[in-house]
Amino acid sequence: MTQHADPAADFEVEALSYMDQLYAAALRMTRNAADAEDLVQETYAKAFAARDKFTMGTNLKAWLYRIQTNAFINSYRKKQREPKRSDAESVEDWQLAAAAEHTSSGLASAEDHALDSLGDDEIRRALSELSEDFRMAVYLSDVEGFAYKEIAEIMDTPVGTVMSRLHRGRKLLREKLRDYAAERGLYEKTPVKPKQEKKDGGVCDA
Amino acid sequence: MPEPECEEALDRLFEYIDHELPEEEIHRIGEHLKTCPPCEAEHKINEKIKRLVNQTRHETAPDALRQRVLDAIRATRETPA
Repeated sequence: MTQHADPAADFEVEALSYMDQLYAAALRMTRNAADAEDLVQETYAKAFAARDKFTMGTNLKAWLYRIQTNAFINSYRKKQREPKRSDAESVEDWQLAAAAEHTSSGLASAEDHALDSLGDDEIRRALSELSEDFRMAVYLSDVEGFAYKEIAEIMDTPVGTVMSRLHRGRKLLREKLRDYAAERGLYEKTPVKPKQEKKDGGVCDA
Repeated sequence: MPEPECEEALDRLFEYIDHELPEEEIHRIGEHLKTCPPCEAEHKINEKIKRLVNQTRHETAPDALRQRVLDAIRATRETPA
């Protein structure tokens, strides 16, 4: 093969190099392998059909994610009938919610240690249980390393909404991980209630 | 009520972790985290969760999918618009 300076070939090579990533993201979106494959194929078909609209040198990966996200919304979300959550999210909302407090230091260090014992499967499960918008915002940031501005473009939403989704998604994710750790006895979710012990038929005040 | 420095650090924690803050704020929050163990504990936990999520991607596209995509591209190349 000869060296070429063929922009079409460059586009092709670079676009194809993101297939594993697009497929992994498609799995997080559709939550099933057959749909994920179809979605990726559709993404590439659309991308190649619209390649003239892409400016070489700009962010091709983000552009492909945008196409895939749109394709997912248009073809699969309806099919899957996952209700589009109206989480009534707003910037003010998370800012209020984020008037955060410290966790007590004992609990924080127990939580920190418990996280080390959780497996990959549990992290994936927790992520998969988040609603779609939260799941994808967290995925695009944490796994793909996109900047807020890029996520905003991919999800076609203002940056403030991305931040809100990340805040809320991560809070929920953390709660789920705490729950898993508690189920496995790695973490005690106290000090909510004192232990209830049934003593000689005494009333259990829950 | 948390101290104002704590409030700022906790409010901006995700942006701090995601490298979305201007230099000056990164510095200010970084300095606060060094001197405030409870805020640093929150920081560590959230950073760890981000790292754990980051490590969950292992999937590779199936060969059959790769082939289908390549075939489709080849087909569009051979039939000029």
